[in-house]
Amino acid sequence: MKDKTRIEDIGKKGQMVKLREEDLMELPYPYNQPDMEPKFTEPKDEWRERYVTDLDGYIAINIPVKRPETKEEEERMVRRFLEGFKRLLTKNDHWTFLQPLLLTLEYCAKCQACADACPIYLASGKKEIYRPTYRVEVLRRIYKKYIKGKSDFVSGKIDLNWDTLAKLAEVSWRCTLCRRCEQRCPIGINNGLITREIRLLFAQEMGFANKEVHELGTVQHLKVGSSTALTPDGFKDIVEFMEEEIEEKTGKKIKIPVDEKGADFLLIHNAGEYLSWPENPAAFAILFEEAGISYTLSSELVGYDGVNYGVWYDDMQLARIALKHTEAARKLDCNSIVVGECGHAHKAIAVIADRVVADETNVYRQSCMPILWDIVKKKKINFDPEKNDFPVTLHDPCNMVRLMGVVEPQRKVLRALCPQFREMSPNGVYNYCCGGGSGFAIMQSMNFPEWRNKVSTRMKLKQTMDAFKDCIDPSINKMLCAPCSNCKGAIRDMFSYYQVPQKTSTYYTGLVEFMVNAMVDLEEPYIEWEFH
Amino acid sequence: MVVSLLQLSSYVAFAIFIVAVLAKWRQWSSMPIHLRWELYPVPHEPEHEHGGSYFEEFNFWEKHREKNHLNEMKELFTELLFIKRVFDFKRQFWFTTYPFHLGIYLILAWFALLFVGGLTQAYTGIAIPSAHPWAQLIYYLTLLTGSLGIILGTLGCIGVLLYRLSEEDMRKYSAGLDYFNLIFILVVYVLGAISWLSFDRTFTTAQAYMTAMVSFSSAIPQLNNIILAHVILLELLWIYIPFTKMSHFVGKYFTYHKVLWEDEPNLRGSEVEKKVREVLGYKVTWQAPHFTAGRTWAEEATKPSKVDVIERWEP
Ligand code: SF4
Ligand code: SF4
Repeated sequence: MKDKTRIEDIGKKGQMVKLREEDLMELPYPYNQPDMEPKFTEPKDEWRERYVTDLDGYIAINIPVKRPETKEEEERMVRRFLEGFKRLLTKNDHWTFLQPLLLTLEYCAKCQACADACPIYLASGKKEIYRPTYRVEVLRRIYKKYIKGKSDFVSGKIDLNWDTLAKLAEVSWRCTLCRRCEQRCPIGINNGLITREIRLLFAQEMGFANKEVHELGTVQHLKVGSSTALTPDGFKDIVEFMEEEIEEKTGKKIKIPVDEKGADFLLIHNAGEYLSWPENPAAFAILFEEAGISYTLSSELVGYDGVNYGVWYDDMQLARIALKHTEAARKLDCNSIVVGECGHAHKAIAVIADRVVADETNVYRQSCMPILWDIVKKKKINFDPEKNDFPVTLHDPCNMVRLMGVVEPQRKVLRALCPQFREMSPNGVYNYCCGGGSGFAIMQSMNFPEWRNKVSTRMKLKQTMDAFKDCIDPSINKMLCAPCSNCKGAIRDMFSYYQVPQKTSTYYTGLVEFMVNAMVDLEEPYIEWEFH
Repeated sequence: MVVSLLQLSSYVAFAIFIVAVLAKWRQWSSMPIHLRWELYPVPHEPEHEHGGSYFEEFNFWEKHREKNHLNEMKELFTELLFIKRVFDFKRQFWFTTYPFHLGIYLILAWFALLFVGGLTQAYTGIAIPSAHPWAQLIYYLTLLTGSLGIILGTLGCIGVLLYRLSEEDMRKYSAGLDYFNLIFILVVYVLGAISWLSFDRTFTTAQAYMTAMVSFSSAIPQLNNIILAHVILLELLWIYIPFTKMSHFVGKYFTYHKVLWEDEPNLRGSEVEKKVREVLGYKVTWQAPHFTAGRTWAEEATKPSKVDVIERWEP
């Protein structure tokens, strides 16, 4: 059924949209069979009172809100928002994205060529509030009417009130910043950027942002050393544990370099790897040791956790974390920073933060992917591809691929080492997001995971099943390679929600695991066919 | 040399258009450097075929950086001349917006030809039309671009207007002004079409008017009311365009070159680094608890900061 929601409906009272099973994008076999997916649930009444559920019934911003009770209170909130909006338009406060923001507010032709690019819009059954231009048009109309003082005839209808503010904040957390829509725009408009600008306005002006991303994310990262709450001492313990694990699993006695001055580069992983998938940083340690690569890890506060959640919502938090990363590298006299398998950490430090470093903080930053391909290409280690003789497909993390241009090295590794490698469709820079981008993978409170699993990651489930449609039979083990911690997080939840391993014997892992698994001198397989 | 009021208004309209477009250009080009927001494929990257960047190379800063300018031009012109992205992703709409834009390009070419024709008549003594090969070339090209431009532009404009009105997805997102702009253009086109078909099929009057313009002569042809209305509205349109989003021909340069394709690395000692140093000195005034008043970006990003967070969003 065609969604009749209009832009100005955001300012009306009540829930804007209700998601329905029958509207969702159809999934391929076996998920097109009856009762293969859990159904939508209703938000609890107490959530409705404490949080904003009026957008679509789901809660991304898990900070309680106190609704204005009088007209004055409402006006105060609106004023505060507009003050923030004005700051967004000044070069002092917002040089960081002023030009793309203004270009986007100015020039959209409303042609909607971008709409069908969006995996969330498509998966939801084309719900209007998820259309790439929806939140942008709301902001644009507010800009024209309330900042520029134009009439409705010029701006289009919009009312700026409590409902608009609350739903606008919430709808800015229904886009993964994958920027697939931007690839299709004839004018070059940045719809994805506007999602981030809305988040940024609320965060930098009012401190209002999702808790896992801000309070438990960047704030904790800067204070404790990691958004996972891992401390420097805890990190050193984990490294020791990894060394033991490596010896137990491979028989190799490896000393993982930590805080070694003068190494070629500082390797930074997403700290989530150490806790959830230690086999990944361990595989890096094995490969780099065997290939004779000079590197070190850092136990400096922040220096051992490569994530940078600021990239999703806050420029200052982004800059603070990025500068801590470069400081850690400087202290160890490293020539550069190399980022492990984490897409947003790649983009944050190598691309976005490239404009917050200068002089002594300007330590060069790069991806691990070319190094990994170099090991294979130059035969620095003996590999036997037959050890990886099972169906494999590759997920392209948006941040590393579409937004950074690291496309080929990882697939060259898979082509060389996995005889049954097959591409997803579409792939490379035209891939679909895993559905966990922009913080969604780590946002676990209340009913948000349900929305993510049913809507946001739906396209990735479809693509994965399509890639394996010739071998979907559960008697055949299959592996999805996702060279990114956040993507793995989203995929793990999606696999668990849809019981993908149980129903189709499809598992997921990172890239380096395939490399170690193919090493000739390893007696036991490194890849384990178990879901975790 | 006395020019008529009408001529004067034409000079003024054209001058305002040029000045306003240049001011727009200046406004966009004088903006501070921003954080990178490129999007692959970036056509000047040598590995653009698969959307690759220099990050695919280990220690990329040690390598000589090559840029494929030819491919960038190719990409730019296919987008500009064929509106490729709309063709690829919104084919039905392309069948209206493409004739509309092509009509505008042809009309611009027609203007340029009239201008060249005017110079030819005024300063070389070669009459247009005449048997002179140059005059023949200008005459027929003017005829071709003008007629096709009016036909495609008028039909395209009607098409775009109807499409916008009939497709719900576009209608919901359009404001009154979007329709006003299209109707304004359509009125100019329709008056132009009537002038052309009824009074000036070979554009002799248009050429004579342009000749008078470029020679600053008052010998402008007699214009009837319809042509007069057309000329005046056309002038108003020229003045109006740079102040609206129809100036996206300026914006588009910046959205692509300064945002989507801008991947210049911040190498030590580079121009980029110099600009970054400057913006890091700007003062920040954001009000959230994790900001401290009175600091510059560089200070705020490096000095110890408060780690307060809000417990509740309240009035
Ligand atoms: S963002 Fe671009 S593609 Fe989307 S409606 Fe606007 S102009 Fe069209
Ligand atoms: S950035 Fe991605 S998720 Fe967001 S609107 Fe565009 S396509 Fe959709």
